[in-house]
Parts: sequence; C-alpha cells; structure tokens
Amino acid sequence: MVAYLFRRTVALLLVLLGLVILIFIIARIVPGDPARIALGPLATADQVAEMRGEMGLDDPFLVQLWNYLTGLLQGDLGKSLLSSRPVMDDLVAALPATFELVLATIFLQISLSIPLGVLAAVYRDSWIDNITRIISLIGVVTPGFVLAIILQLLASYYLTFFPVTGRLDPGLEFSATKTGLLTIDSLLAGRWDVFGSACLHLFLPSIALAAAGIGQVMRITRSAMIEVGSRDFIEASRSYGIPEQVVTIRYMLRVASIAPLTILGLEFASLIGNAFIVEFVFSWPGIASYGVRTILQKDLNAVIGVVLVSGIFFVVANLVIDVLLGFIDPRNRLRDGSSK
Amino acid sequence: MSNRILEVSDLDLSFTTYGQRTKVLHNLNFHLDAGERVSLIGQSGSGKTVTMRTIIGTLPMPPGKVENGSIRYEGRELLTLSRKQRNRLKGTGISIVLQDPLLSFNPVLTIHRQMDDIVRYADMRSNKSRSRSARRSHIIDTLKKVQLADGEHILGSYPMQLSGGMRQRVLIGMSLLNNPRLLIADEPGTALDVTTQQEILNLLNTLVSEEGLTLLLITHNLGVVREMADRVYVMQKGRIVEQGTRDEIFASPKHPYTLELMNSVLPLYGDKVVDVADTHHEENAIEIRGVNKIFSRKIGIIRRKTEVNHAVREVFLDISRGDIFGIAGESGSGKTTLAKILLGLHKPNSGEVTIDNQNLDGFQGSTEFRKTVQIVYQNPGSSLNPRRTVADQLKVPLKFTGFSPENYHARIEELLDMVELPRSYASMYPHELSGGQKQRVAIARALSCHPKILVLDEPTSALDVLIQNSVINLLHRLRDEFDLTYVFISHDLSLMRNFCNRVAIMFRGEICEQGRTRDIFANPQHPYTRALLSSIPVITAEEERLKPVVSKAERDAVLTTTTELTD
Amino acid sequence: MIKDETVRTLSSGQMAWYRFKYNPSALIGVFIIISVIIGAIFAPWLAPSPESAGAHVDFLNRHSPPSGVYLMGTDNVGRDIFSRVLFGYRVSLGLVVGVLGIAVPFGVLLGLTAAYAGGWTEWVIMRFTDVMLAIPPLAMALAVTAVLSPNLVNAMIAITLLWWTWHTRLIYRIAKGQMAEDYVEAAKVSGASHVHILLRELLPNCISAIAVKTSLDAGFVILFGAALSFLGLGVQPPTPDLGTMVSTGSEYLPEYWWEALMPGFAILYVILGFNLLGDGLRDMMDVEL
Repeated sequence: MVAYLFRRTVALLLVLLGLVILIFIIARIVPGDPARIALGPLATADQVAEMRGEMGLDDPFLVQLWNYLTGLLQGDLGKSLLSSRPVMDDLVAALPATFELVLATIFLQISLSIPLGVLAAVYRDSWIDNITRIISLIGVVTPGFVLAIILQLLASYYLTFFPVTGRLDPGLEFSATKTGLLTIDSLLAGRWDVFGSACLHLFLPSIALAAAGIGQVMRITRSAMIEVGSRDFIEASRSYGIPEQVVTIRYMLRVASIAPLTILGLEFASLIGNAFIVEFVFSWPGIASYGVRTILQKDLNAVIGVVLVSGIFFVVANLVIDVLLGFIDPRNRLRDGSSK
Repeated sequence: MSNRILEVSDLDLSFTTYGQRTKVLHNLNFHLDAGERVSLIGQSGSGKTVTMRTIIGTLPMPPGKVENGSIRYEGRELLTLSRKQRNRLKGTGISIVLQDPLLSFNPVLTIHRQMDDIVRYADMRSNKSRSRSARRSHIIDTLKKVQLADGEHILGSYPMQLSGGMRQRVLIGMSLLNNPRLLIADEPGTALDVTTQQEILNLLNTLVSEEGLTLLLITHNLGVVREMADRVYVMQKGRIVEQGTRDEIFASPKHPYTLELMNSVLPLYGDKVVDVADTHHEENAIEIRGVNKIFSRKIGIIRRKTEVNHAVREVFLDISRGDIFGIAGESGSGKTTLAKILLGLHKPNSGEVTIDNQNLDGFQGSTEFRKTVQIVYQNPGSSLNPRRTVADQLKVPLKFTGFSPENYHARIEELLDMVELPRSYASMYPHELSGGQKQRVAIARALSCHPKILVLDEPTSALDVLIQNSVINLLHRLRDEFDLTYVFISHDLSLMRNFCNRVAIMFRGEICEQGRTRDIFANPQHPYTRALLSSIPVITAEEERLKPVVSKAERDAVLTTTTELTD
Repeated sequence: MIKDETVRTLSSGQMAWYRFKYNPSALIGVFIIISVIIGAIFAPWLAPSPESAGAHVDFLNRHSPPSGVYLMGTDNVGRDIFSRVLFGYRVSLGLVVGVLGIAVPFGVLLGLTAAYAGGWTEWVIMRFTDVMLAIPPLAMALAVTAVLSPNLVNAMIAITLLWWTWHTRLIYRIAKGQMAEDYVEAAKVSGASHVHILLRELLPNCISAIAVKTSLDAGFVILFGAALSFLGLGVQPPTPDLGTMVSTGSEYLPEYWWEALMPGFAILYVILGFNLLGDGLRDMMDVEL
C-alpha cells in the first residue's frame, strides 16, 4: 500500500510540474508584453524597458522558469500586473468561496449519483430505472449555464426562498475567519441564521455545477452494477444463501464502484473549470470570477496562478480517488507489493 | 424413499427472450440417494448448468420458467416453496461449487470476510448466534476438512494471492461451511492443471465418504466421471438420453451420442492408441543448444528489487525434419516461452538456436525466416482479427513475403481448399465462423507462405472434443502433403500420445525427459512424468492398469501440493 | 463440407442495422441531428426572417413573446430568435467539424502509437496527455482566446488543443487491451509492418469506440463553444451564436425569459441529439467507453 501511494504521489507531482512548465511556456510565448500591460498604454518605451528588467523578462527563458519555480516553492506566484498585489493574496481571498461551492457539489454528486445508479440497476427496466435514466440524460445534455438560468428563473418565480446571487444575505454580518467556508465557520460560531442563509445560497449554484457529473456517474454506476451482477461470484454468493441486500451492497457495489469512482475523479478535476460559468451566472465571489476578470485583462501572473490552483485541485482529487480505490480494490495495492 | 436426497421429475423449463419462448429442458428425470455420487455428463449447451441453477434456485425467472414437473429435496417440493424457505436451504441443504475457482470469489474482499458472511447469514436464518471467534474457528475447522492446515494465513488473504489449486480447495470449503447434505460441483478442477485436478478429485471423494455428502457432479470429462461417479446420466440438448451405473455406461454405451462422446476421448494406452511413425528424414530442422530465458521485472517502492523468473533453463533439443515433436508441460512450465523463442519473439539470454541450418540470431526478422517458421495459436478467437475478413487476414503473410498481388486471389482459394473450407468463406468475418472453422482459417494463414516448420500452440484445446479430432486429422494430412515439421505445444498428454512421434516433457523451465512418444509413455523415467501420467483420468480399466502407479511419497517429492502456501 | 456447429447467418452489418432499428433513442438522435443539419444548411431559405441573422433592428417588435409569427419570440432589438437559432446552428456545426476533424485523428493516432510502441514512447505520450488533462479545459480555452483576441477560429483552436487528450486515453486503453490478443503477434510473425499493424489490425478494432466517443463529443464541443461565447470569449456579435444569444438574453431575465431560454433549449436540443445517437451506437456496437 505504501509503495502504491508513493508511486501515485510521485506520478501526480510530476504531472503538476509538467503543468507549471507548460503554462509558463504558453504564458511567455503569447503575444503581448507583460510589462506594457502592467504599465498601461501611456508609458514610455524607457519605462517599459525598466519594468522588463525589474520583472526579469530579459533573462534567458530557463532562468525565468527557474526563478518562477523557486518562487513557487516559497508560495510566491509573482505580482498581479493589475492589482499590484501578490497573486497569492488574491487567490487566498477568493479560494474559500470556490472551495465551498466545489465541496458542496462533490457532496451532491457522490450522495445522489451512486445510490440512484444502484437503484436503477436493482430495479432494472422498471419505472424507477426509466425515471433515473431521464434525469441522468437531462443532467448530461443541459449546459451548465442554461441550467443555471433555468434555476434562476424558477427561483425568481416559484422557489422564491432561494436567493439568486451571492454567498450570504446582505443583511447578515459575519466574517469567516477559521476555514473561510461560511457553512463550517458559522456552525463553529453557533450562528444558525448565517448557516441557513449560506446553505440556501449554496443550493442552486451547486445543483447547476453538479448536474452533469450526477447524470454521467449515475449511468456508469448502473451499467457497472449490471455487469458485476452477471459475474460468477455473485451467483456463488447467492447460492451460499447470502441475503440479496448484502449481495447488492457488499458484494456488487464494492466491485462496481471502481468505474464510477474513477470517472468521479476526472469529473472533480473539471469542476473548477465549470465553476467559471456557474460563478459567473450566480455572481459567486470565487476564484473563477477572479479568473475571468484577470484573463480578460491579460493579467498573466494571475492567470498562471488560477490555472495552477485548478491543476493542484485535479492532482489532489485524483490522489484521494486513488487512495480510495486502493482501499476498495486490493489488486491496486497488491500489484506492486512483494507477494504476487 | 427415506434416503432419497433429490428427485427431479418430469421437469420442463423454457426461456423467453425477445418474446420468443424456447424450451431448454425436456422432461428431465433423475434422482440422488444419500451418499451417492451421481454424474451429469454433457457438452456445453446441453443444459447441465441450467439444471444446476434451477435446483439451487438462482436461475432468474423470468426469463426462465418451469413449465412442468417437480424438484424434491428430502421429499419436500422445492418449486412451490416461498422465497424465504427456499433461501434457507441455500448453502445449508444444497450447496454448489462453481466451475472457475478464480471467478467464484469476490476479488475485493478477503477470504475471511467472504466465508464469515456465509456462516453469519446462515446462522441468522436459523436463529442461531455465534460469536465472531466461534465462527472463525468453525471456518478454520472447515478449511482443515479440505486439507488446508494454514487457515489463519489463508483467511487474511485475497483470492488473487492464492494459487489455483488452493482457491479450488477454499471454494469447496466455502460450500461446506453450513454442512450441506447435497453438493453440486460444476466441472471441478477442469480449469486447473491435471496434477492439481487429481488432488481435487481425490479430495471430493474423501469428503463424500467421510462427511456423508451426496455429490452431483456436472462435467464433460468422461475420465473424471469414471473416477468420481456411481451412477451416470448423459444429457444432450436438454434431454437425458441415457442413464445407468457407471460400469454399465462405460462397458456398453447404447445411445449414439454417448458412443460419440466415448469415441472422441483419445486413448492414453491400449490397442486403440495410434503410433505415429518416425520421420524418414535424417537432418535436423531445429537445434536448440543450452537455451536459457530469464524474465526480470523491477519491483518495490523505488524499483530497486528485481523479481526473477527463470522461464527456460538449459534446454537442449534436436527436432528432425518431418517430426511431430510434442512439448508437454503444465502451466508455467516454460513451454510457451520456448515456442516464442523459436519464433524469434523472445531473445534467449544464452544458448543457441539453429533453424533450418541457420542461426536464429541473424535469421529471425528476415523474410526468409517467415517463410520457414509460422505459428498456429491456441484460441482462433484471439488470433484472428475480428474486424477483418478471412481473405484480408490470409493476405497479410502474402503481402509481406513478396507475393505478387495478382496471385493473391488464387492463393487464397488454394489455401481454403487445403483446409477444407468453402471458397466463399473468403469474404466472411471471423464471428460468422464456428470455432473449428476459425482454427482452419488460422492454419491456412500459417501455411500461406509455404513454411517448413509450424509451431502449434495448443491448437485444439479451445475446441469442443468432437471438433478437435477433425482438426487433428487435417494437421496430419497437411504434414504428409507438404512435408512439414510440427512443434506441438500442449498440456494434453492423451492428444500428444496419438499425435506426436516424439515428445519432451517440460517441468519448471527444464526438459526433464524426452524421446519417442511410445517409449516415454510405456516407460516414463522421471518422477514428474510418472506423476503427470498417473494423474490423467482415463476411461477404461485397461488404461488404468497400464498407467504408471505413483505412490503418494513419490508424488509429493516432485509436486508441491496445493495445500501449502508457496512463496 | 465439414461437420461443425451451425453458423449464424446474419452478417455483422445486418445485426447492427437490426439493433439500430429497434433502438428508439438512436432513432430520435438521428432525427434531431438531421433536423439540425437541414436547418443549418438551408437557414437562408427556412428562416422566417433571414435578415435577423445580421445586425438587423426592428424596434417596433422588440421583446415580443413567442407566437405564431415569432416561434421563439424576438430579442432586445426585435430580431426573430428562431431565425437566429437556425443560423446559430451553422456556427455550432462548423465548430464541431473543425474541432473533431483535427482532434480525433490526432488523438487516435497518438493513443494507438503509445499502446503499440510501448517503452519510452508510451511513457512520453501518456505523461504528456496526463499533464494536458490536468489543465481545466475551460480555463485553458479562456486563456487562449483572451490572449489571442476572441473569435470563432481562436475558440476552435483553444478547444482542439485540449480535446485530443480524451481520444488518446480512450484509444490507448482499447489498443493496449487489443495488444494482448494473439492477432497482433500473428501479424508480426507474418512479417507485417508497423504501419500495417497500427492502421489495418489495431485501428479497425477501435473504430466503434471512436464512433461512439465522437458522437458524444460532438454534443460536448457545441456545449463548450457555447460556454465560451456565453462568457464573451467566442463568436462575436452580430454573428448569431447560441451561447452569445443566451448571454445577451440573460440580461433581460426574468421578464423576457424566452430570449435566454429559447437559444438555451436550442443548444440543449442539438446536444441531446448527439447524445442519444452516441448512446444508441454504444448499445448497438456493444462498446464500453
């Protein structure tokens, strides 16, 4: 198990390093002089040249990359060209909001998709199966922003108790200082009013963000359950008199969850990307809103920071899934061990 | 009547698929008395497995439907029992051992977890309660019954960590956990090597006599039936076509199907054995001199440790032109690796191989080499590309050995004629052909560029017995016609006895014995060869008498029994 | 000629057609896609108001709700939304052809090569694919289009840059599995060249997976392009683009709901078509993605 985890971690760290280098190269070869952008169109050529020197843009490429990487290890992502604040500070300010949204989404995805997929497989070809099939199809084919708009419309006409924008009712005074997550910090502080408001605000955006993944993972869970259900060992368990519910949950789902979990890992990775849209529609003050703003203004250091954050999220999410798969499926961790 | 365990009478069963009802079991009648060993014989598709699933109660209904008849267990009608009562019998009254020991385990749960569940839920159904440790000791006791002493170690393992034979034992142990009266075994041991199969059959026999089990054995292997059954039912296409005691059936089979089955079994000893004449050629087609092949693989956290597998060890062989040279061995003996060395697919770590008087080193990879050695694989389902027509596949060797394109068509027709397939098959895809036909296409492909040597890697073991013989006859004919040399790789010694003029027996990478087939079988010298021959189930008393007799001590000296953990 | 088991007489093509005919979801999918393609190709003739495609203004009829005259209503400057949707499909389909036409062959070839070559080639290709997969696609597309001025071609480039990775992974996995089959070795023993094995032996066994994946992808490419335009980084006005229309329309929510929702449903409709077709193909050809 240790060997397995070690190898996966190293592989994922390499992916992260590759990502940094790739992004850095892209950022350096795109047209547009960062110094010019930072100073604005009115600056003189001399000022720009001075700025270039200050930003190290005239150093050889490898030196720039090295400086960036060593800076990165110390948590220095450079300065935002526009706000002139360290990118790291901007990110730290925006991250909790996104994190809260993404966590809520993951929670929804896991708690809805796998149970519904199992139900659909158990009651195969019944009305339950058909309804879940339609739900999953709608989830998969509805673009996030269309779903977001539909939800907003519903909220403004029918479900009026769901707020349409922001993280918290404007009247509430609360600053999340411990974790930055409003839901958790408000609970820690015993502020039930804040907690309720935060949950309501969270609801629609996380549904909009989760829908596609729920639909996809539900279908995969269903087909994996059906496939595993036809294997010999399930017939064996039934023949030895193990009750059907136990066969379904312990014997089938344990094996069948491998495929949907792998897909969920990839799904989590694209969450931050998709959050761009959802945060935009719901005016959610997260990293994606920050990303859109900096991208539109060609603020390269900030853009690299945002992409890096989502890359790190991808890597961490995949590591978590790998660990989980390692526990569920002994074949993963035994393969590298000493015994065959 | 009191000791009648199971009675199936007038059973009709049908399947409904896409609105079409097909009858799969026709008026089935059979019974088992306490302590009896009864065998249900038939080939795949005869309805054996459906019968088994109907008895145990795991056949999904629908699509299955019992049209008529009854199944009585200890006098009680099973078909009208409530689901709950029916479930109560599973594992406690009637238990099963499924065919494939690896696929019968849940791969992600430990052996202990799986066995404990079986005991626990049976206890719950019968309102018993035992502590976890009481159940554990019961499980360990049960494992002792299947001669597995190291229960503690086994319980902590995952199925994939155990050897094939051990898994089969654990599986039998699992079925015995709740002390069933009737055990249904589906092809026990057939997925295993013959020496291991022998151990499993002995174990089942011991269990029947010591635990008072009644055994229903489902198999296609007549040799196994002869060793394992008191009475026999022969099944064909959902009907029982013949029944009787074992001795009656083996002495005087009456139904044509039974006769056909009997005749399709190749004899190991006796008058019916075909002796293949030695070749009249003097020169060697293949010379193997001191060949070694070692596979190594880096393992561990930082890939520092190396796992070494010495697959082929100091092999010397001379194969004459025109020989049908058999290389026999069980799985992992290195016989396939040796074949791949001959084809130039693996490079030996040391030693020399000469083919057709040319050293393999410079020879392999050349067009001339391809025109010298070709291969027929075990499974034509895998060796033919499912997405290409027969003609396309026959064309590949032609195209790459410099055949001129205008002759392709004529050559393909010629090849199909050679393997006795209609010419119209050229435009078909593999899935439109039966297994035997596919193998003929594979043989045609191997022959397309006029090779001198064919490596045959278990060419018939994926085929049904009745088709096996026609492919073997074809191979014999082709050898005579084109003066071919065959290197025949197989684990099936009965087949080898009747097909090869010379054999070599491989054991753990080494050749332990080689010579003329007749001599080796008549007078095996190496203890492994003796153990191997003695393990083969045969169908006549005469063969049984002529088989080498191997004492347990002698056997244990060469074979690791599957009761021990090997590391 | 030889006594053998009976042989199925249906050819694979017949079998596939048979299963297709009785697969309602695939049929609906095909219907939707054909309707979209016809709508896009013949937009100038089918659209009730072809001039709405451009910078046309009709202030008298702005914000008209859906009616017999305006099937999907009109937008903030009085253009017929239905007509704009038809023209919008031209952009969407163009995007699909452009992106998949490049990304699929490229991804498939890389995946095949990695699986067949093994060794360091495999390592380099697959690790590079992993790195590309770690980039959040939308962020990458945003960055590319923002840096190279937003328009259709740049959106296409941005999407193509990331799209191939999925095909590489899929084909790699399938081809790797196929490598274990004996027919690959049999071809080697027959002396077949690498190109022959890659394109003639392995590729035909990947085709059904490619077909299913490409069909499902077509929907997602449209979704992706629409998302980019929605954020203002794709096709620029006045070219009618579904994503841009949703974005503009959403400024008039909730009163003039049709202005955002109708183009939204139009996107949903075409994605649904490709999805149903992809699912139908998957059932039909029995492939696992």
